[in-house]
Order: sequence, then structure tokens, then C-alpha cells
Amino acid sequence: MRILFCLFAVASSLWAADRPLSFRHDVLPVLSKAGCNGGGCHGALAGKGGFRLSLNAYDPATDHYNITRELRGRRVEFNDPTRSLFLIKPTAAVRHKGGKRLHEDSKDYQILLKWIQQGAPGPSEKDAKLARLALTPGNARVKKGDTPQLKVTAHFSDGTQRDVTAWAKFDSTDASVAIVDAKTGRAEIIGFGQGAITAWYSGQIAIARLISPWPNQIPDKVFAASSKANLIDRHVLVQLRQLNLKPSPASTDSEFIRRAFLDTIGVLPKPAEVREFLADPAADKRSKLVDRLLARPEFVDYWTYRWADLFLISGKKLRPNALKAYYSWLRGEIVKNTPWDQLVRQVVTARGDSMENGATNFYAVHQEPETMAENVSQAFMSLSINCAKCHNHPLEKWTNDQYYAFANLFARVRVKGWGGDARNGDGKRTLFTAPRGDLLQPRTGKPQPPAPLDRPAIAADADRRTVLADWLTGPDNPYFTRSIANRVWANFFGQGIVDPVDDLRVSNPASNEPLLNGLAGHLMKNKYDLKSLMRLILTSDTYARSSTPLPENIGDTRYHARYYPRRLMAEVLQDAITTVTKVSPKYANITLSDGSTAKTDFYKDGTRALQLFDSAVTSYFLKTFGRNEREITCECERSNKPSMVQVLHLSNGKTLNDNLRADQSCVTPLIAKDNAVLIEEAYLLCLARPPSAEEIKRLEAVFKSTPVTERRAVIEDLFWALMTSREFLFQH
Amino acid sequence: MFDFLGEQEASICGGSHLKRREFLQVGALGAVGLSLPQVLAAKEAGAVRAGHEDKACIMIFNLGAPSHVDLWDMKPEAAAEYRGPFKPIRTKSEDIEVSEILPQHAKVADKFSLVRSVHHGGAAVHDAGWQIMQTGRRFSGGVQTPHAGAVASHLLGRKSDLPPFVVLPELMGRGGGNLPNGQAGGFLGKAHDPFALNADPSKKDFKVPDLLPPDQIGAARLERRRNMREIVDGAVKSFEASEDARLLNDTFHSAFRMMTSEQARAAFDLSKEKQSVRERYGMNRFGQCCLLARRLVENGVRFVTLNSFLTVFSQLSWDIHGSKPFMSIKQMAEIIAPMYDQGYSALIEDLHERGLLDNTLVTTLAEFGRTPKMNPAGGRDHWPQCFTCSFAGGGVKGGRVVGKSDPVGGFPAERPVSPGDVVATIFHSLGLNHQATLPGPAGRPFPLVDFGDEPIKELF
Repeated sequence: MRILFCLFAVASSLWAADRPLSFRHDVLPVLSKAGCNGGGCHGALAGKGGFRLSLNAYDPATDHYNITRELRGRRVEFNDPTRSLFLIKPTAAVRHKGGKRLHEDSKDYQILLKWIQQGAPGPSEKDAKLARLALTPGNARVKKGDTPQLKVTAHFSDGTQRDVTAWAKFDSTDASVAIVDAKTGRAEIIGFGQGAITAWYSGQIAIARLISPWPNQIPDKVFAASSKANLIDRHVLVQLRQLNLKPSPASTDSEFIRRAFLDTIGVLPKPAEVREFLADPAADKRSKLVDRLLARPEFVDYWTYRWADLFLISGKKLRPNALKAYYSWLRGEIVKNTPWDQLVRQVVTARGDSMENGATNFYAVHQEPETMAENVSQAFMSLSINCAKCHNHPLEKWTNDQYYAFANLFARVRVKGWGGDARNGDGKRTLFTAPRGDLLQPRTGKPQPPAPLDRPAIAADADRRTVLADWLTGPDNPYFTRSIANRVWANFFGQGIVDPVDDLRVSNPASNEPLLNGLAGHLMKNKYDLKSLMRLILTSDTYARSSTPLPENIGDTRYHARYYPRRLMAEVLQDAITTVTKVSPKYANITLSDGSTAKTDFYKDGTRALQLFDSAVTSYFLKTFGRNEREITCECERSNKPSMVQVLHLSNGKTLNDNLRADQSCVTPLIAKDNAVLIEEAYLLCLARPPSAEEIKRLEAVFKSTPVTERRAVIEDLFWALMTSREFLFQH
Repeated sequence: MFDFLGEQEASICGGSHLKRREFLQVGALGAVGLSLPQVLAAKEAGAVRAGHEDKACIMIFNLGAPSHVDLWDMKPEAAAEYRGPFKPIRTKSEDIEVSEILPQHAKVADKFSLVRSVHHGGAAVHDAGWQIMQTGRRFSGGVQTPHAGAVASHLLGRKSDLPPFVVLPELMGRGGGNLPNGQAGGFLGKAHDPFALNADPSKKDFKVPDLLPPDQIGAARLERRRNMREIVDGAVKSFEASEDARLLNDTFHSAFRMMTSEQARAAFDLSKEKQSVRERYGMNRFGQCCLLARRLVENGVRFVTLNSFLTVFSQLSWDIHGSKPFMSIKQMAEIIAPMYDQGYSALIEDLHERGLLDNTLVTTLAEFGRTPKMNPAGGRDHWPQCFTCSFAGGGVKGGRVVGKSDPVGGFPAERPVSPGDVVATIFHSLGLNHQATLPGPAGRPFPLVDFGDEPIKELF
């Protein structure tokens, strides 16, 4: 053993002496791994103890200067390298507040020492670039209890490659499947599903997918026999087979009609529609239903509302007239079913009067080049580049230079008119493009040549936003199509294939990569017609699966072996209550950021929640049930999480109690009906299904034991019970 | 049972207190503390120390991040651009000086202690700091660690008809970083999310929204509704596989218990306080929340988190960048600090006078501190490298200073304290063993705080 160790030591010292060490690829990785340039240490904006390094080594030139030249070069001693402050601090040979980060007999120490002995050369343009990072195994089938060791290989632009496992930092993306030692790359499989391990080295990220199947016994013929309506089912079943998850059978017609209505147009089916659908013997009645839904007027309300979340259409940010212009523009495009790429192009290149071209209001909501860039990226690519504003993105590959190159694409957007105070002014502004002007990269004090992400700088005379729109919606941009395909998917399944949907970074992998690629491909082939993607989803067997779990898929929460129940979104729930009770709330005020309220006359009586232009409309119900407040571009602002406050409101609040008591409510015409008839009517209204014989029997017993004086009350109570049941409150 | 109540309803119509109390006797049986078995298991596993049954915690979370060097860690010797415009004043404790803009703090300085060397390595982004300070950890690997109050809820369960963990006046809003803010049950499950008041107790017509059924829903009708809901709700088997759906049902049971409880109603009723007491706390949202926090603790709530503000955008908060939409130092001195000073000092005095302070830890936390050097706008920016937290009551000895910052308040100079240490201190005061474990993701045992994080012993 000792001999082996010595051999290893000799080999490694030879290894280090063999070639000139690179500041970029040898020295900085040692500092990153030891945590020296972390945000809590010398990587802090102000450095630490007078010594500053760039966060995670994003600025090698300055790091080299600070190590070798700052303080007249007293951090390195070329005459006696082992006495360099750069070495005796991290080994804690002298007092170091960060403690001992390096051992004198470690390979890392040897690298720093050799580098100084070699004259501490700095980074240069000629350095080989890190071309690619590979993590092995990249895809592996593992078992619970396994402890695989991951290996990271760096491939450089000069054709060389090296094992850099020792200098990589590891993380697990799903700690319920696999955990990993951040330093060594030794993983441990602790659960079932598809886990992913990421490795970070020198600003790049590699990812390994570890598939840990459930311990079920499912014959292959189950998967072979499962029907596959389209590409979605093929991709999902491949994964279910890999993971040993048995698909649940198809949902009933009642479940399907309710589900498809709520997800596609946001309203409950009427009892007559339910009866007709249940009675229809046609084999293709489900796909015909889908076609009808995609053509319904409520489709426009629902999807305008959904995308308005993305466009931040809010009275907290815009004056009423501008808000209306912005909303009307979006609604008009949904009516026309404008392809998504063209719709986004209209926003990105918008110019002119804010009332005539409502799309220009995107730039009234986001007024600086930096926030324009961040929000275009977030909304249309699901990429958060904000962190790269101050330093290279710690979780992503985006650099500080890329950020300013991208933001500079917006530097010539100019405006005359209203300034941006949502409480005052006429909201009228004119947007135009200035012939010159640049955004300075603060680190260099110079403009960063404008460029889309991962692309070379654009021509000097080009119209910047046109070039951006071409790239954004074009084939060179890998994010755009995936982003919208994933957002549409999430609407129908309650979670993205990449989840959360606003986070498409490499280190947040898809639960089913081929599926997401397949959806993106479908969307491209169909020229960004979102309805075609919705039709594909709605007619898949995956979407139609029952939400009742089987013993062989009860642990599944991400791979669609069954449909996952989820609470209805706030607006849909409010409208469902309106539909059932026939009493609608009034929307007469908006609440501004400072808590003050203002009157609005946009909404006539009977306006449904999904027809509101504006997330600032005052509504205790919508706020309590977690509508998207449209403060920032993020689906995370919406919450479908049940809470005590919601339950108290359903139980005791005005929404259900006052609606049911009202003269015009659904209760009044039922008072004279037979118990069994009214019970069935109430079930169809609320749950889109007839009651079972057992339910009728038990409920009739309640009715019979209630005195006549309580007739109206007991019907109200029946509706209350139905509308507080999970079958009503949940999509399932 | 149902028939019995149905007849009752026929004979007594309308809504009287007497009837609600009758219902309480019937209804409460069905919804006895859901977490009782968990709590017993926790005791057996040594997670809960005996003799601490009556401990509670009020966590005041100073949203926006107060300037430690302008409030609790003054640097009068530093250059002008560091020390800022305020002067330190003497206090009741020989060891503590505070800012002249906190004069009431000076009078209760014998009851609280300061830790001036708290720091963390997370991003200088509000939401990052919120999750780190309230849970003791930065979220990673998709694991959301629970708020300290959710841990208390899990290990101690509820003590009365009130929920064990309450947030006043509302959950935190957005901080701009798109990150979860740590004010939830995390991997312990949403059942341990706090009950959020969602109302402003300083408003004239303040009441807990929807706490009580409307007048026409008497006890018998309430029971009938519950009965019918059970008939309707049992139909769909799929719900038992959904965490949210299970939670919703549990929440219905808890809600029934709370809305039929005389104690819960009284606890939230600030009109039961003398006007002089209310005024002593300050007739503003923060002050009345402090008073309400005291009432809740008196009535068995284990953990109250009081957000002193709700967001950092265009509203009052501690976020004094000096430019819009944020606050200025002047606004802090003239509006924010006086309000805070009054509410906090009244809470400490009142708890002390009522003999509650020994069993109630009052801690004041924030996501980070602020830059030692003032910015060109005359404000200060985010600074997680060093800041001050305070602790009072719950076994903590007052009048002490733990840790020390460097001459400008930039870094800990002595005794650095991590967010995990802060949370471990809260657990210690509540009688929880910080080395015990919780059921983590995939059933893996998850320690209350990370290895190496320890309670700040010097406080006790």
C-alpha cells in the first residue's frame, strides 16, 4: 500500500512538472475547489481581508493581477516560493481567517507551488480553451444503495484532455433520488426515479443522469399493449418502462370532459354538455371535444389571461389606458391564433405609440436595457441571466460579458412621454430606436459589443432588436421553442417537463428529455401554432390517464404514469363557483403597490375572473387562492397550494355563503324539485358526473331528516359540501 | 349523532355563543391534534427535552435588512462615510450601546442581548437571506429546508385550539430573486406551513378573516355541512396519493377546530386589551402585531413569526438603498426606526411584566446587514458578511454582547456566528435537541441544523 502511494506521489509530481501549468485551467480550479473565491470569502464583491478574487474565477486577468502584482507583488515570493503568502495563508502557516484550506502534502498545494516556480504565468488569449466537459457515466442505470463514483474529463481546444474530477464541484438536482459528495463526486442512490448529478469545473457544467428503477415487477407486454396515440405516449412509455412504473388506465368520460374543459378554457362543462358527451357513442368523441374546445370563445379569455402573467399586465405598473391597450393587443393576437414566434417578435421589436401599439408597453414595464434583457430572456427562453449582471452566473454558463453583450442589444430603445408612475399621468409614450448609444460594461468601462447569447457580435449597422428577434425565434436559439413547449405542457399537467418552468438552465434537467425535444420539434414543424401542440397533448393517452394510482405507480410524481390531482388555479376556481352558484363577484377597484385603491370601470357585471385585464384588480378570493400578482416574470408567483386561510374562506367567507343565499342563486329553482333530481343536478353542475346510488341514498337521508323550514338551508348545505369537496376544488 | 343534532337545529335557530360551545364539545372530539403521535415519537427519540413544554418563540423578521451600523453596532470612531449620521447612546446595560434612533431600546437593554458577528455566505439577495436565516440553511438539490417554526410545529405539535405556528401579518412577499423565502414547512410538508393572519391588526375593523361562520350557520347546520361534506368527499380514491389533497382535508379538520373555539376567538380579539396597552405598542401595523404576538403566545401558539414589513418594493421596509423604489436613511430615522423601537420595547416590557419573558424567546433576525460604507445615494446596500441579531427571554440572559465586528462593521472580528448557530439557538431555547433528526427527503434522517452549527451558549 505504501509503495503504491509513493508511486502515486511520484507520478503526480511528474504529472505536474511535465507541462507548464495554466493559470486558467490549473491554478484557478484549485482556488475554486478550496472555496477561496466563493461569495463568503475572497469572492465577495469587496474581497476579504484585503484580498479579492472574482466570484468562481470569472475574471482570470484581474485574479492574476491581484495574486501576483497587487501590494507590490508581496503575495508571491519567486526567490523562495514556499514562503509566498499565496501559499502560507491557505495552509494556515500564518494566521488565516478562512482557516486551513490546503495541506502542504496535497496535489493542489503542489500545483500552486509549481506554478510559482514556473514564474507564475498569467492567462493569455493563446490559452487552450475548455471546449467541453464530460461526466461519466453520463447515463446510468443504478439501484437504490449504489454508490457510483463520477468522473469528470475536461476536453481542451488544443485536443488535450484531462481528468479533473478532483477540481470539480458536484451537486445533485433531486436529493430524493441521489445525493453526492460535493468534493469527491461519490454519489449515493437513496431513492427511485431519475436523478441527475451536475459537475462544475472552470465555468462549465456537465450532467449525469442516474436512473433508479422502482422495485416493481411489470411484464414488458404491459408497455407494449399500452395504447400510444402520438409521440407523447411513446416517449412517456419508454421512460415508464425504464423506471418500472405501470401506467394507470384511461380516465372515465366524466373525468375527461371536466379535465379538458378546465385545462383548455378554464370553465366547468354545463350539465347538458356533460349529458350529451356521456351519451355520445362515437369512438372519436374525445378528439372532437378537443377541437370544439380549441375553437370556443372562452379559449381566448383563458389563454390571454395565462400569457398576461408572462407579460406582466398589471395596473401596479401601467396607467389604465395603457393597460387596456397592452391587454387588447395580446387578446387580439390570441383571437387570431398568431404563431408564438410572431407574437414574441411583435413584442421584442415593438415601436410607436403605446396606445396604438399595445405591445410597446412591454418596454413601459421594463425600462432599462438590463431589465429588458433579463425579462426577454426570462419570459421567452425561461433563462434567468440576472446573476450574470454582477459576476459570471454561479449555476449557469452565462458570463458577465455575455450579459452586457445581450443587454446592449436594447441600449438604443428610447422613449418620449409618460415616465412610469402607475398612479399619475396619461400613460402615453412613444417608443423609437436611437441611431447611436451603447450600454457600458462596468467592469471595463467600455461598451460590450452587442450579441445574442452564445453568438458572435452583430454587425455595427444592424437594427439591434431586429437581429435579436431573428435569433430569438430562429433555429440557432435552443431555448425559445423548449421554453414555450414546456410552458404549454405545464398548463395541462400542473408541472413542467423542466420544472420550475422559469428555470431552463443546464443544471435543472428535464424529467424526460426526449419528450421535451419531441414537443419542441412538433411545435417547430407546425410553425409555432400553439393550438396544434395543445391538440397533441389533449389527444394523448398520457393526458387521458386516470388519476387513480396503482400500487405500481403510487410513488411517481414526475413521470406521468398517472394524472396528478392539483388544486384549481385561483381564477378558474372563482369562475367555477360563479358558474355553479350563478352569482358573480363585482370587480370595481384595483389595489396599487402602495396599498391605495383606485376605481375601475373596465368590468361590467358578470365579468369572469379570467376576463380581467389586470392582476391588480382588488379581490380577496383571488389573492388568497394565489393568483399570479405579476410583479416579476415568474410562474412561481402563482400558488395552487391549499392553506388554512383558504379553508376558512370557503367555510365561513362570503364567496360561498353569500352566493348560495342570494335570490338568483342555483338553490332557488331547486327548492321545488324532488330530492333525487336536485341531488343529481347539483352533482352534474359541480362535479360533471351523476351521483352514485350510495351517495343519493345517504344524501336523501339527510334531506329527509331535515324539517321543512330548513328546506332552502339544506340545499345550500349540499352545494356547500360539494364545492368544498376535493373533487370540486381539484383538477383530477 | 347526526339525527340528534338535526333536531337540535330545529329547536334553536340563529347563532348564539352557547350553541357554538355545545358544538365545540361535539366537534372537537373529531379533530383532536393531528400531530399527537408525531409528538410522542419526538419525545421518545430525544428530540424534545423534558420540562420545556411551555416554551414559545416570537421571531421578528426585519424584512429589508436593517443597517446594523446605524442601529445596534455603531462605529463612532470610523470615518464619516462609514459611521453614518447617528450617534450612539448609553443604555441600561453597561455593555450595550445602541443608536440614538432607538431610545426605547436603551430602556430594555438589560433584557435583550446582541450578537454582532452573524454572517453568511449566501447571495446578497433578499430572498436568499430569508431562506438562509429562517431555516438555517441555503436550499440545494431541490430540498427546501423547513422554517424553524415548522420544526417546532412538527416536534411539539399544537398546545391549544390555535395552530402551533402563525405568521403575522402576512407571509413575506417577493424579494426580487425568484427564490423560495423559507417561510414554509419545506420537506416536513405543507401541514407545517404557518397559519398566516392576512389582516392588519391596527385597522379599526380588524378581525381574523373568516374565522367565524356567518350568523345563519348555527352549530347544528355546521355539523350537517360537515356530515354532507364527508359523504361527498369520499368518492375519489386518487386524492390519497396527492399530498396537497391530503393536506386540504387535514386543514378542514384544523379549521373546524379553530373556528369553533372560544379560546381562538378570544386570542385574536385585540379589543379585549385596554386602550393604554394598545397605544403603548404603537397604533400601527407593526406595534399591534407585537401585541397580537403576545396574546397568541399566551394562548398556546408555539411559534410566531412577525414580518416587520412585507416586501422591499415601493413600501416601507429596512431596505435603505437611498434611491427609489427603496427607502432612504432619513425615512428609516423618521418613520421606520421609531415605529420599530416602540413596538419592540413594549413587547419586551409587557412580556416581562406578565412573567412570560422567561418562557418566550424574542429574537430579531434579518436577511443580512448593510454595507459599512455609504453609497453615493447616501444609502447602504446589501451586506451578508456581517450583521447583528438580537435575543431576549426564553432563558437568554439580557444585557450582553456576543461577538464583535471589525472597526467598520464589515466582517466578524470575534466569534463568527452562522445562520445555523442562530437557528440552533432558537431550538435550544424551545427545548429541542439541535442534534436530533427530522424525516428528510426519501425518508433520510435530516439533522435539525447542519453538523457544526451550535447554540450560542454565551447567551444562556
